[in-house]
Amino acid sequence: MVNASNIWQRSQGWVLSLPFQVFLLISLCMLILWTLYFSTYPPVHDTLHETRHHTLTVACH
Amino acid sequence: MVIFVSLMIWLWKSTPVVSQPTVKIQIEPPLEQVIPDATLVKFQLQALDASGGIYNDALIGVHISAPRKTPWFTSDFPIVEGTELLALEAYAPKGKLEFEQVLPIRGNYELAVTVTPEVTGSYAPFEQSLKINVPENPVKYRNFAVLAVILLTIGAFSGWILGGDQTIAATEIAPQPVRMLLSGVTLLAIAALLLVNFSAEMAEATSHSHPETGEVISSSPRIEKNETMQLEILGDTKAVVGKLATQTVKITNPSTGEPITDVQINLQSVANESNGLMFAYQAMPDLNGQFTWKEQFFDGAPHIITANVMQLQVSHEIEVEGIAPPLSVRLISLLYFTLIFVVGLSAGFWGKRNTQPIL
Repeated sequence: MVNASNIWQRSQGWVLSLPFQVFLLISLCMLILWTLYFSTYPPVHDTLHETRHHTLTVACH
Repeated sequence: MVIFVSLMIWLWKSTPVVSQPTVKIQIEPPLEQVIPDATLVKFQLQALDASGGIYNDALIGVHISAPRKTPWFTSDFPIVEGTELLALEAYAPKGKLEFEQVLPIRGNYELAVTVTPEVTGSYAPFEQSLKINVPENPVKYRNFAVLAVILLTIGAFSGWILGGDQTIAATEIAPQPVRMLLSGVTLLAIAALLLVNFSAEMAEATSHSHPETGEVISSSPRIEKNETMQLEILGDTKAVVGKLATQTVKITNPSTGEPITDVQINLQSVANESNGLMFAYQAMPDLNGQFTWKEQFFDGAPHIITANVMQLQVSHEIEVEGIAPPLSVRLISLLYFTLIFVVGLSAGFWGKRNTQPIL
């Protein structure tokens, strides 16, 4: 029988493992980059419009 | 030896060269000084006959095509890539056509030029394809380098921490539940950013937003007249990035309705967002008192087309629909940025691991 503390320990081991922490870090970095440079979300797009047009490989409209 | 060289030069010079009519192109400023989406480029096209003489009374047509699509190394206007920017045909009294146009992106532009006699049969019409290469805006390289350095630094710093000793000391101030909480918050942040970006992509499919800074509302009427002439501007008032929009100006005598053909009409296209001049041409109306051209409004923001003849000025506003860059193009560029971060991360991680004492 699996008790609550066992589940907590296993999930702790999994979440705090190096691969998962690396995954979290890269995912967050990608999403921040997407939001700043590639998102169509109007407030972000409008604020960073000039920066986007002046950065190599960044497409805008 | 001298005789042999002289003979060779004589033979080379005396070889008959079959000359063809050509179109000579001059660009101001020089191409290496042109900055995409910023510099108003002056084009001068001169049609020359086989002997290098000028053509009188020619009709010169020009179609400018933007550089081909480059999804793996996109420009900032991917929708414009591979599309037609400008199409006009105009009467060129001395075989010369002059106009000004802003070029949106770097790369090879193609100008398809046709030269036809105004009086049919006076000479054989011909066409020529010209190519010009516009360099990339140097600011873009600088900004990319700055971003790459930031990503490498943050990546290396993160990697250095991750590569360190992960065992928890007895006096650890962030116990495991706290670190679990922080990881949970990171997950939440990822979810929130995903939600914001996903809903923005969905909203983009139905509507479009663009900064409206420096908006200038057209102050001139579409028709204006005085005792001797009436000037009118016609054509599309809605345009889409990537497609040409047709514009026409018409000049007539207001009392008789007869077309006026012996005046010069100053045409200008101004982007509201930057208040920058995008296209300028001094047109001669045709026999119907009209001049028509097709233009792409590559910046997905409103433009104002103005035409003036002496004291008369007419204008109309073009509502331009921008199109978001393809998702695939943006994902490719995101991949490049992420790879730079991962390179920094790996360097920091292995750098730390290799400097740690072996216990």
